[in-house]
Amino acid sequence: MGQHSSGGQLPATIAERLVAVNWPLLALVALIAIVGIAQLQSAAGGSMSPWADKQAWRLVFGLALVILLAILPIRLWIGLAYPAYAAGLVLLVLVVVAGNEALGARRWLKLGELSLQPSEVMKIGLVLALARYYLWLPPERVSQPLWVAIPLVLIVIPVALVLTQPDLGTATLFAAVGFALMFLAGVSMLYFLGGAMGLAIASPLIWMGLHDYQRRRVTTFLSPDADPLGAGYHITQSKIAVGSGGWSGLGHLGGLQSHLDFLPEKHTDFAFAMFAEEWGFVGAASLLALYGVLIAMLIAMALACRSGFSRIVIAGTCISISIYVVINVAMVTGLVPVVGVPLPLVSYGGTAMITVMISLGLAMCAWVNRRAVIRPDELRALI
Amino acid sequence: MLGLGQTGALGLLGARLYHLQVTEREHYARLAEANRTRTLAIPALRGRILDRTGRVLAGNETSIRVVVVPALAGRLQDVLRALARLVPLGEDEQAAIVDRARRQPPNLPVVVADEIAFEDAARINLLSSDLPGVLTEHFARRVYHGGAAVNHIVGYVGAPERPALGDDPVLRHPDVRVGKTGAELGLETTLRGHAGRIRREVDARGRIVRSFDDGRAITGTDVTLTIDLEVQKRVMQRMSQERRAALVALDCREGEIVAMASTPGYEHSDLSSPGRGTTEKSNSRLADEPFIDRTIRGLYPPGSTYKIVTALAALESGAVAPDEPLPCSGAFELAGHTFNCWKRSGHGSSNLVRALAQSCDCYFYEAARRTGIERLAATARLLGFGRTYDCGLALQRSGIVPDPDWKRGRYGRSWVTGETVLAGIGQGFVLTNPLQLAVMIARAASGLAIEPTLVIARPEDARGDALPLPVERRHLDLVRRGLVAAVNEDGGTGASARLDQEMGELAGKTGTAQVKRFSAATRWTERDHSLFVGYAPVAAPRYAIAAIVEHAGSGGAVAAPLVREVMQFLFDRDAPPGKPVGSRRS
Repeated sequence: MGQHSSGGQLPATIAERLVAVNWPLLALVALIAIVGIAQLQSAAGGSMSPWADKQAWRLVFGLALVILLAILPIRLWIGLAYPAYAAGLVLLVLVVVAGNEALGARRWLKLGELSLQPSEVMKIGLVLALARYYLWLPPERVSQPLWVAIPLVLIVIPVALVLTQPDLGTATLFAAVGFALMFLAGVSMLYFLGGAMGLAIASPLIWMGLHDYQRRRVTTFLSPDADPLGAGYHITQSKIAVGSGGWSGLGHLGGLQSHLDFLPEKHTDFAFAMFAEEWGFVGAASLLALYGVLIAMLIAMALACRSGFSRIVIAGTCISISIYVVINVAMVTGLVPVVGVPLPLVSYGGTAMITVMISLGLAMCAWVNRRAVIRPDELRALI
Repeated sequence: MLGLGQTGALGLLGARLYHLQVTEREHYARLAEANRTRTLAIPALRGRILDRTGRVLAGNETSIRVVVVPALAGRLQDVLRALARLVPLGEDEQAAIVDRARRQPPNLPVVVADEIAFEDAARINLLSSDLPGVLTEHFARRVYHGGAAVNHIVGYVGAPERPALGDDPVLRHPDVRVGKTGAELGLETTLRGHAGRIRREVDARGRIVRSFDDGRAITGTDVTLTIDLEVQKRVMQRMSQERRAALVALDCREGEIVAMASTPGYEHSDLSSPGRGTTEKSNSRLADEPFIDRTIRGLYPPGSTYKIVTALAALESGAVAPDEPLPCSGAFELAGHTFNCWKRSGHGSSNLVRALAQSCDCYFYEAARRTGIERLAATARLLGFGRTYDCGLALQRSGIVPDPDWKRGRYGRSWVTGETVLAGIGQGFVLTNPLQLAVMIARAASGLAIEPTLVIARPEDARGDALPLPVERRHLDLVRRGLVAAVNEDGGTGASARLDQEMGELAGKTGTAQVKRFSAATRWTERDHSLFVGYAPVAAPRYAIAAIVEHAGSGGAVAAPLVREVMQFLFDRDAPPGKPVGSRRS
């Protein structure tokens, strides 16, 4: 492969690639995940089961996965980009047709013993497909209307499918990641300004199209105290948990809101609220800072890439992780409505953990191959 | 640029965390505390009610009972079935308990069996691991020992009415009992004591996680009443010869209530009997309203006993001179209306003493007319009418001391002189209860503004001595002379109240209160009430007694002998016959 690339030295052997892996980033990821596991142990009243032990195995498996993906050849991922996107689309359509309903939403596909959340596949597929598209597109065409319309369609189709599930949180994520990557690829600012204005005009129409439960989330977010035992319960209890943690928190296993079950979903979506209750402002701000470092490292990695494909893949991972963190923390602190978004690496959940790890693995692979330049003739061969 | 956005977003979240966790910490900590703690009030044991010799009239009996806390029981049906092997518990009862548990918060215990034997309780505690949520606990029941002789005075307790928001939270406790009538209600604040507090930490489902003892319950204070159970029994025994009657005896010097009786009385079993008010027998009994304490709730026209008020008012206002004779032809004319004297032939000319002794209506018609209603009403209030007393008895009725303001408020019409004339002989609008009549005669006898009391004051809250009435002594003396004459001189209406000589003299006033204006008195319920108020000994008044016997006819014939008998009994009890009266007074 080395002889096809024109610039720089690509790590050719497996050993070289292993050396090129960004180990400090991996260590940081492991640290955040271990904080999460400790929190799950506290959530279970000081017991490793039923959550912490499983999550620990997922972490081990996930870290191995990151390393495995990082040392696979980058061309494999370029080649798999469109197929992954297509597979994600097929699964999303399937889930609409034959998905398992849970809590009023069809989000899961049951494949025998395994249950799969197709939107997780699409999270990876969308990033890869956009990176692949801009790898192929000559830079001078990036802002031409036709070539803007194509990635727009690539984004809107999964957003629309996810909205029918209905899953507002994931739809928002897809849209945000997609548009951010288009921006990074160099699409003119005018499109984004125009889009923002259009959205402002269309928002009343969107409001009318929302499901009742979605509207209720927005209205209860705007005034949670109007219905403290109904839909506002989550926000109210979560804010009480966070706020009563105070400066230094109530200590590991000491969170009363969470241990007395006033805090709902304390091991999944509201894990951060429990963490903030037990570790206080000092702990919560430190955890946020760890995410900040993680995001900063990913941005630095993206900026260091010569390959556009690598840059977009790393940026995609970075944006999706940071959007998850921001939305989740904003949700548990009552800044945005409850949208059901987990905190990456901390919230309990196998699918979410594996998805994050695959994203990080791809980003790591892109990092290892950051100097790779793919010629157009190579691309044609790949499709 | 994206990096800037990320930094901004994370900075915003950090600021939000700071706001929630540092700035607003107190607020959320308070909310968290309120979230998880429930305070449970534990009722205090009620204070006992004793008679003046220390006999227990109302006390507490503790027994053991079994309760189950549904939240701890798991499957309640299974637990109850297991329990049924240890205590008698039928299928129906089990179903009822399950039903009750469903309708209340799962933390509140449900009573499974009352008054179980100690051995059964021990067996349940031994097997407690197989009986989750089942507890044995001591439970206090209010018990009464005095019977009908004191039931009206002591009263009874019951579950509180639905408590209002600001009330003591202990009132929501299912075991708490509050006074409903009598001293139990009147002395409620003393008897109740202070509830204990248990703070419980609960989880989001309301299950108890931890308990903290925040303060033990403090048993209520015992109260010693001024009455004596044996005296009450004797008085009640005599009273029960009458169909409906009431009697109040006061100590003239202190205002202590010596005896109180309302006939018919009731037993506590009458209150809880399941067929109350349904059977024929209980209907006829209930027609005489045994649950009403007539001494404080029965309102009667005072009739001629009110002439004491009129006499004093006339003297004090100067409307009638002490020796001024007023004529009686058997009738009194006013503005075209005729007011008859009870003696149709008339009393001729009488001064105040003779008019009181013979209860001449015409004298008091004229005296009242001259005095005026305002002055009459003021004197009535001075002698204790138209109000209730803070004596430890609840639910007193204050009666009516009529005056122009009252009439305007009540009927919207102005006062007419004919109504003054009627009020002068205790008819018309005037309504009084027997306690007030007793206070009136005690005040007239002692010249002190005594206040009746049912409780023997502890030294620390002893009341000051009663103040002298703000009237001239010679006017009071003149009225008393009339009362002495009414009983002890020939021609007096109260002659049948005359005591044996050795007892000293009894003074008093009869009253015959018309129930129906022109009484042809064919039906019992339309016959006149018989009243008598009196005190003895005249030389140094000790006891004042007021009695009313409903629909019994003239005061001199029925109520006067009743008062004499009770007075006689009180003196006999103080000193066995044979010893002179003077030697036993301190």
